[in-house]
Amino acid sequence: MTSPPVTGSAEVQRLGGPGPARFRPRRTPPAGTARPRRRGPLSYWRQYLAISPFYLIFAAFSFFPVFYSLYLAFQRWDGMGTMQFVGLQQFRFLWDDPVFWLSIRNTLVIWVLSTVPTLFGALMLATLLHSVRRFKGFYRIALYVPNVTSIVAVAIFFGAVFSNNFGLVNAILGMVGISPVPWLSNPWLIKLVIALLMTWQWTGYNMIIYLAGLQAIPNSIYEAAKMDGAGPIRTFFQITIPIMRPIILFTVIISTINGLQSFSEPQVLFGSNAANANLGGPGQAGLTTLLYFYQSAFLNNDYGYGAAIVWAFFVLIIILVAVNWRITTRGRKA
Amino acid sequence: MDLSRRGFLQAAALTAAASGLTVACGGSSGSGGTKNGKDLTLWYWGGALSDKVVAEAKTHFSSTVKLTSASIGGDFKQKLTTTIAAGTSVPDITGIKGEDIASFLPNADRFLDLNDLGFKKISSQYLDWKTKLAQTKDGKQIGFPIDIGPTALFYREDLFAKAGVDTEPAKVAALVKTWEDYFQLGTELQKKNPGTYLVNNIGAMFDMTVGQGTARFIDKNNHFIGDQDHIRAAWTTSVRPYTLGLDAKINDNTWNAAVGKTLLTELGAAWHALDIEQAAPGTKGKWRVCAMPGGPANQGGSYLALPRQCRNPEEAFKIISWILSPANDARGFTDAAIFPAAPAAYSMPAMTGPDAFFGGQKIIEVFGPAAKTVPSAYEAPADAAVMAPYKTELTNIEAKGKKPDDAWKDAVSQAKQIARRQGVS
Repeated sequence: MTSPPVTGSAEVQRLGGPGPARFRPRRTPPAGTARPRRRGPLSYWRQYLAISPFYLIFAAFSFFPVFYSLYLAFQRWDGMGTMQFVGLQQFRFLWDDPVFWLSIRNTLVIWVLSTVPTLFGALMLATLLHSVRRFKGFYRIALYVPNVTSIVAVAIFFGAVFSNNFGLVNAILGMVGISPVPWLSNPWLIKLVIALLMTWQWTGYNMIIYLAGLQAIPNSIYEAAKMDGAGPIRTFFQITIPIMRPIILFTVIISTINGLQSFSEPQVLFGSNAANANLGGPGQAGLTTLLYFYQSAFLNNDYGYGAAIVWAFFVLIIILVAVNWRITTRGRKA
Repeated sequence: MDLSRRGFLQAAALTAAASGLTVACGGSSGSGGTKNGKDLTLWYWGGALSDKVVAEAKTHFSSTVKLTSASIGGDFKQKLTTTIAAGTSVPDITGIKGEDIASFLPNADRFLDLNDLGFKKISSQYLDWKTKLAQTKDGKQIGFPIDIGPTALFYREDLFAKAGVDTEPAKVAALVKTWEDYFQLGTELQKKNPGTYLVNNIGAMFDMTVGQGTARFIDKNNHFIGDQDHIRAAWTTSVRPYTLGLDAKINDNTWNAAVGKTLLTELGAAWHALDIEQAAPGTKGKWRVCAMPGGPANQGGSYLALPRQCRNPEEAFKIISWILSPANDARGFTDAAIFPAAPAAYSMPAMTGPDAFFGGQKIIEVFGPAAKTVPSAYEAPADAAVMAPYKTELTNIEAKGKKPDDAWKDAVSQAKQIARRQGVS
């Protein structure tokens, strides 16, 4: 594609700057001149118009709702009637609500249980795949497919496989004489199943990113390391990992954001819970914060409280991302 | 790829214009000021009404209005709430689920008062307790009852016979007059049928025992009463099967696999018959129904309502009173297992026939009397939200072996918090 032509080139000439406007050196017009400053943002309206669809949609469906939810966090609203300003009351309720803290704990446990194996697994698979010579395309697609599979379908599938009474896993365990494991009712096993589901889904995605990073490392570095007598393991830890650091940082942050937002997995896995749908299964062990938000806002019609939950959670994510950033970049450069 | 500037700008301008147009159109529909519109839309969900009756209604009223029906999937309440809050493209007639009706009552001004349109004259045809649940405190009627869910005890005739227990519905009903009788019988049955259980889970038990009472979690003066004796008693009864080892503790979708195998009985509403039939077709002829221990409760059963934006209230009311007339309501039972809210339907041939799945039993003889004796209880808007922690704690007893007394304490304190958040004093 050719670079977009600059409009009003005559004027650009008059201002003395050839070439695209953004490369012009900044200069202040001499004081006292009556020449109007015509190159305001409005004169680029065509370009703005061209990129506007994204921003309009973003503003309507993302930007506005996000800040509207902040407004809602200070109201009591059932979704239809009149809103009532309640100040910080929702946040006070939140502070005293054991279920909210339970949901935070659940989310963090599930996040750790899924992110750590996902990233390690992805790095391992990427290294293996990097050295593979045959069927490269097949392996890449096979490992990436889980990421594009519908999460609802996957959750239903996992629910059937890990079902307490009639599941595949328990059937196999039964064949070798192990008594059935209550995968979907023990609080820890519930989290494990959810984490396993997320690991299965996200390993391929991170693997592709790592693989791209590995392929960008020039071979000459490895050759030099070999000449110096470094074995494959030493090469991996002292050459590959340090060079990949920015990429690892990226995946850690993306995984933190994704992993903390687990919602569909427990929602679908325990959606058919006879006594309590959408409460995260027995003992609320699969109740993640986003699921609790969904339940409060959309099932209990308590939109103000739901908004307070997500904003409190937003603060938590920010803190965790910051901590992650600090840990991962530590010692990179003084 | 070369894209000329003019071509690109034209495309962009067209896209922008098109999206603007769509927005404009979306805004104009549904907010028309006239009240004798010729187009009416009906929102319901699959199985809420008999599709055949709805199709007939379209032709029946085609001379005056054009009725369009939409079967809405997914979270119906959520979609209806959003649409009503937005105020555009609101359906002229909408279904409301029984468990959601209470939460719509505080916003009764978003709906038309059906009494103004003539519901008062025909309301005696419908069960009073059901009608009342869709009524505001000042007597505004927002919901027209479609169906109800009178509960009964479903039981496995073959497993009862194996244990040497009477299998005749009337005799079984006499055997299980109270919950204690029922548990006693369960213990006996379990001895003769090893590996079977009396109840599915105790959360479902709690639904029944609470539904048998005349008070729930919040009283008419908006006070929390979920810590009082009536709820405590319902709780204690519900926990009994667990302590007696009669509880199958099924809290996931494995119910489908268990129902034909390990469950001796099922407590459920009339519509539950269809669930059993679909989950365990192999047990055809082996099930029977009798009156529930301790008397009937109600579970579910929906309404039709007319949102304020309705474009032709008179015609819309005519349509819903036609669709839900006792005769058409009875057909809903045949087509979609919808149990009518109009008692006159219970003696119609559509409902009095024998049911092959229940070994030829005329199940209306159980559900008909149950429907008429369901106790009337006030259901507050926050009722469902306040009830949730009790069920969660009952599940905790089952899944984690939590002590029932601790679970009760946690449930009450949780429920109190939710009640306070929802503005209950």
